Amino acid sequence: MSEPQERYYNIAKLNKVFAISSLVLLGTIGWMLLDDYARRWKGYQREFRSYEVEKTRVKFDKEKNLLKDQERYQELLVEREAAQAAYDANSAGLVDLRTELEAVQGENDLLVQQYRFTKAELDAAKYQYEEAKNHNSSNLDRAEEAFDVLQAQEKQQKLAVEVSDQEVQQKRDAFDALGVHLKEIEREQGRLAQEKTLLENKLEKIDQHAMTLPNLVADLVRDLPLIDMASPNYKIRQVVLKDLKDDLNFMQVPKVERCITCHLGIDNLDYKDLPQPFRTHSNLEQYVDNDSPHPLEDFGCTSCHGGRGRGTDFVTAAHTPSSDEQKKEWEEQYNWEAFHHWDTPMVPLQYTESGCFKCHSGETVIAGAENLNLGLQLIERAGCYTCHEIEKYKGWMQPGPNLKAIGTKVTPEWARRWIADPHSFRHNTWMPAFWGQSNNSDPNSQARADQEVRSIAHYLFAASKEIELTDIPVPGDPVRGEELVASVGCFGCHKIEPDPVVTPATRQNLQREQGPNLIGLGSKTSATWVFNWLKDPHRFRADTRMPNLRLTDQEAADIAAYLTQSDISKRDDFDRKPLAPIDEAIVDTLVTEFLTRTMTRAQADEQRAGMALDDKLEYAGQKLIAHYGCFSCHAIEGFDDMKPIGTALTQEGSKSIHNLDFGFIHIDHSRQAWFKQKLKEPRIFDENRVKTPGEKLRMPNFNFTDEEADALVTVLLGFTKAKPGHLKLTGASVEEQYIQEGQRVVRQFNCQGCHELEGEGGAIQPKVFDWLVKYQDKEENEADAVFKSFSPPNLIGEGKKVHAQWLFDFLHAPSTIRPWLKTRMPTFNFTAAQSNALVRYFSALDRVDFPFAEMVSDAEIARDYEDGKKLFSEEYLACGKCHIVGDQTPGGSADSWAPDFTLARDRLKPQWMIDWLMDPQALLPGTKMPGYFEAEYFDDAGPEDILGGDETLQIKALRNFILGLGAEKGKTESSARSDDRPDPKQTVVGGRVSKAFTVPGD
Amino acid sequence: MEELSWPKHLINVLSNPKYLFPLLLGLFVFIFPPTDRLHRIHLRLRLDRLWTNAGGVFLLVLFLSFFLFGLTDPNFRLIVTKADNVPIVGLIFLVTFFLWFSMKQALENDRRMADGKKPIEADDKDPVLVWPDLVYGEFIAMIVCTILLIVWSIVLTAPLEQPANPAVSPNPSKAPWYFLGLQEMLVYFDPWIAGVVFPTVIIIGIMAIPYLDNNKKGCGYYSFADRKMAVSVFMFFWLVLWIFLIVVGTFLRGPNWNFFGPFEVWKISKLEALTNVNLSELIYMKLLNRRLPDNILVREMGGFLVILGYFGVLPLILMKTLFRKLHQDLGNVRFSFFTIMLLMSFSLPIKMMLRWFFNIKYIVAIPEYFFNI
Repeated sequence: MSEPQERYYNIAKLNKVFAISSLVLLGTIGWMLLDDYARRWKGYQREFRSYEVEKTRVKFDKEKNLLKDQERYQELLVEREAAQAAYDANSAGLVDLRTELEAVQGENDLLVQQYRFTKAELDAAKYQYEEAKNHNSSNLDRAEEAFDVLQAQEKQQKLAVEVSDQEVQQKRDAFDALGVHLKEIEREQGRLAQEKTLLENKLEKIDQHAMTLPNLVADLVRDLPLIDMASPNYKIRQVVLKDLKDDLNFMQVPKVERCITCHLGIDNLDYKDLPQPFRTHSNLEQYVDNDSPHPLEDFGCTSCHGGRGRGTDFVTAAHTPSSDEQKKEWEEQYNWEAFHHWDTPMVPLQYTESGCFKCHSGETVIAGAENLNLGLQLIERAGCYTCHEIEKYKGWMQPGPNLKAIGTKVTPEWARRWIADPHSFRHNTWMPAFWGQSNNSDPNSQARADQEVRSIAHYLFAASKEIELTDIPVPGDPVRGEELVASVGCFGCHKIEPDPVVTPATRQNLQREQGPNLIGLGSKTSATWVFNWLKDPHRFRADTRMPNLRLTDQEAADIAAYLTQSDISKRDDFDRKPLAPIDEAIVDTLVTEFLTRTMTRAQADEQRAGMALDDKLEYAGQKLIAHYGCFSCHAIEGFDDMKPIGTALTQEGSKSIHNLDFGFIHIDHSRQAWFKQKLKEPRIFDENRVKTPGEKLRMPNFNFTDEEADALVTVLLGFTKAKPGHLKLTGASVEEQYIQEGQRVVRQFNCQGCHELEGEGGAIQPKVFDWLVKYQDKEENEADAVFKSFSPPNLIGEGKKVHAQWLFDFLHAPSTIRPWLKTRMPTFNFTAAQSNALVRYFSALDRVDFPFAEMVSDAEIARDYEDGKKLFSEEYLACGKCHIVGDQTPGGSADSWAPDFTLARDRLKPQWMIDWLMDPQALLPGTKMPGYFEAEYFDDAGPEDILGGDETLQIKALRNFILGLGAEKGKTESSARSDDRPDPKQTVVGGRVSKAFTVPGD
Repeated sequence: MEELSWPKHLINVLSNPKYLFPLLLGLFVFIFPPTDRLHRIHLRLRLDRLWTNAGGVFLLVLFLSFFLFGLTDPNFRLIVTKADNVPIVGLIFLVTFFLWFSMKQALENDRRMADGKKPIEADDKDPVLVWPDLVYGEFIAMIVCTILLIVWSIVLTAPLEQPANPAVSPNPSKAPWYFLGLQEMLVYFDPWIAGVVFPTVIIIGIMAIPYLDNNKKGCGYYSFADRKMAVSVFMFFWLVLWIFLIVVGTFLRGPNWNFFGPFEVWKISKLEALTNVNLSELIYMKLLNRRLPDNILVREMGGFLVILGYFGVLPLILMKTLFRKLHQDLGNVRFSFFTIMLLMSFSLPIKMMLRWFFNIKYIVAIPEYFFNI
């Protein structure tokens, strides 16, 4: 040390400063470690552990008490004590035996060791011997000798070991025999207390109060900072999914799901009442559980819910609040903020079903995803897929009517009023409103709208082709018409709802909106047009979904009279709505705007000057139809191969938020908020924007309710570009493809409007009930009992039931099976592809071979004729009491009748008939068919005097006899199809021959 | 949206570099006058009082009150308190403090020397030991700095953003703060100039400083009066072309690299009319009222003349006029090197102002060969 005065600073002071700053540094390093160590998920795991201890302890106590109450267990306790006492009493013998056993065991151990040495030496000698042989070495003899000696030694020792082993086993058996009773008791005790023991072990592991001291110390130490790298209690938990990928743009990485780090009780029902994040997942039968179709190990979390599986923090997991309140709550509680750069943030809870669509996209109805299903059905109804390309709906038909012959149907004035504001004519129409919206309601736009509508109508009528209408041959009666509408089945697809009724948006309700609400037809069109349309809709458009109900002239005239001349047909206020006069200046503006898109202003002016007013209207109309995309939903002359005008929606759910124009509207910057806003108010994003009429948003307003918009948002969020692995996709097998293909046809032609199929549909049933009450004078409870018999049949098991060929023929030209039904199976004019799809669909649904089923030979039928006939007769099963047989109708009222047996041979599959006779309720729950051969008393079911009382043979005989009934009929008629109605009226409709039947019994 | 109060509006307008930059440039020559004549004006305006204690308090109060006032505004708060930007706020205060501190010492020395005394540093000749006086002190300072950095990183989370998405470029995409000056240059120059030529020239220029500066005065002590030109030129580079551009780049450049006032919402949809012309278009179309000639050389003749005049003729004029004394001091080689460096650095503010006030994009524009100046 040099002299202190040479120093500039006071060294003692510096020492102090140094000491203090060093301590502060140490403190900050500690702070840093703690800051790094403190993770929110550790807190959750700690909290969960206390819940786990609590639950386990409760269970343990319960098990303990159960055992206490269990007699056998208590008995065992006593028995065990006695056995133990007996065992202990024999202690002297035990000690001797043990000593002997130990001595023998010691010898045995030594022998085994010696043997091992020899074995190793033998292996080495073997190697030496082989080497010497190979090189023909001079040592060959020596090596051979050594090997031989060792081999002999090895054999000898092996023998000695075996002998010794045996001896040890004998001694041990003797020893064990003494304690065998005690062991047995213990084993049984263990079995009874198994659950308790498991819980006890668990408690020892997790409950600090139940731990041994060393375990307690280890438990306290293992989670300390830095030490926790080895084997901590609290650690990140994850599932790696190799075949599901996160799309990071330009790169796909396997999903790693760390959600379970905090969502700890997700797969355990014990925690279903705990607060988040511990709560059990809902519906474990479907999700998460290992036995469910969507186990966590295979599907993870984010593949359905979205979010960032690798995130271990509330924000980095990309949670999304489902409401503004929740958002506020989260911001306060978790400093929540949107995770901007993550393309797939978690889907808000109410839209979770969107995740199903990734794999189930081919299905028409996705079981359990009600919101999604509703959304899909809304898309079909609203026809979103016509303006917006959607992969799922490629090739679907246009939802709106064909306008190529609009001139024969409505007047130009009606068309103008309708186009301008469709909802004012029909409150629940699916035709959306293009005008009167937020971005075109100012006076200028309104004046323009009048001329736009006029131009469009002008074009439509100018391009309209004439369809010749035949005059109504007989006067129609509106009263009879009303009854016919109520009975023949119109209500499967149509409603008649003069005033708005608040109905919840359900799929069943939507099924009845397949066709328009049939009000105001008197204002819209003429009775003649309705008559012609009813008689043959396919004449107007070959692929219309309106089927032909094979109405007689009188019926068609009656219905036409009802629809056009009764109270529901008037729309006076609509007819009186003023129509703006033509304003040529505005029409000129329209024409100029469209012309200048391809030419200069001067050229446009010149061209326009050469146009007559009609030309201008037609030109503007054509351009406007293209602009607004009218041709998407309607077939319009001159627009046959146009491209859709809307944004493709196939991957809309993956669209970057940066590509959504929020304009000046202050809503959440999320896909779901934008979609919902757009659906509720399609033009809103034009607010405060300065735009020319051509630039304005043009998506029309469907007046969706909140529920409907939410359902649609669910679907849109599901339209993602995510590509789940091949194994995860549904529709992979041929059967599934057949089903999906069939479902599409079922959906497009609204089969479920009348039939129950795959457990849903039959939308018409309430209206059948109404008809029974109103026209058949049934009391409500009476009607309630029989309305199903008067409704179109439930098609459950149709694939098992009917022959494919019969079904194909039936779809082509339906015939009467149930004469008591007033609703008719209409003729749909299916293409062969559609009919095939349907037939395959039914087979695939029931997992039966397609297309052919087994046959029964004529010989068999002949053999069983007598026995079958007996069984069939009044004395035995009296089948004819309900069933029609050819011309013989049973007595009693029509609602107790059952189908005609003569149809059975061509229609029904023989095996199905057997199954049906055995247990009708199993095949068609709720059927009126009595079960004569129920499984419970099967052996006593049949009469003893036929076929020796063998029920199986009896059923077969009966079946064969019934098949024979059809064969008999087949002999007398050229066609096996039912053609036996008293007065078949043959009408030529649209060039095809179809048969209309009058129905007996009323 | 609510209307802005008038002071905020005024600040927004003033902070547009179009106005702020010329304003600061104008003030600069009076605050750091390079020549005697300007220095006299500087003294007459009593601007030297900035470097007194009172001046220091004034500067502190000025900046503090601006920030305190600004923090009442949510947009200002958002930008200033962003973890990325906090150091730049610190930079504003620290640079100002050290500037003031050094100038204060320089001023004191100047006064002493005007009175015929030696500078303060000359009096302070006591030797100090490396150990413990220097090393011990440095060691403690190191510890304190480490503490500061750790605490900072805990309290103000490291400015790491959320995981990036390669499909979404951040808007604005900003260079690290120390490169914001370069990024700003890219707005006004082609990449080959702003990204290649200028950085190279800057490095060469810095290396050349000891050889250019042959002024013996001012060694080992703070002084302004003895080295007006040197200090002024340095301050121009340091404060105007470096610090100011960093501050602008950090706080005033928003989405789409548009200018935003400190109290303006960073709207991604903001549009500015930015139609620019080249000098050749101005000459031929506006002045001569004719089409651009097809021949590239003829077309760009005007631009080449301007460049030639700027780098060839202007130094000669300066040599005879404003920089006569400098020329005598430095000699031909040093002078020409120095002047050309200086002119190059001045080309940036010139180019900026040409853009702002005349919408001129390029002086010489030969996009056919990717050669634009």
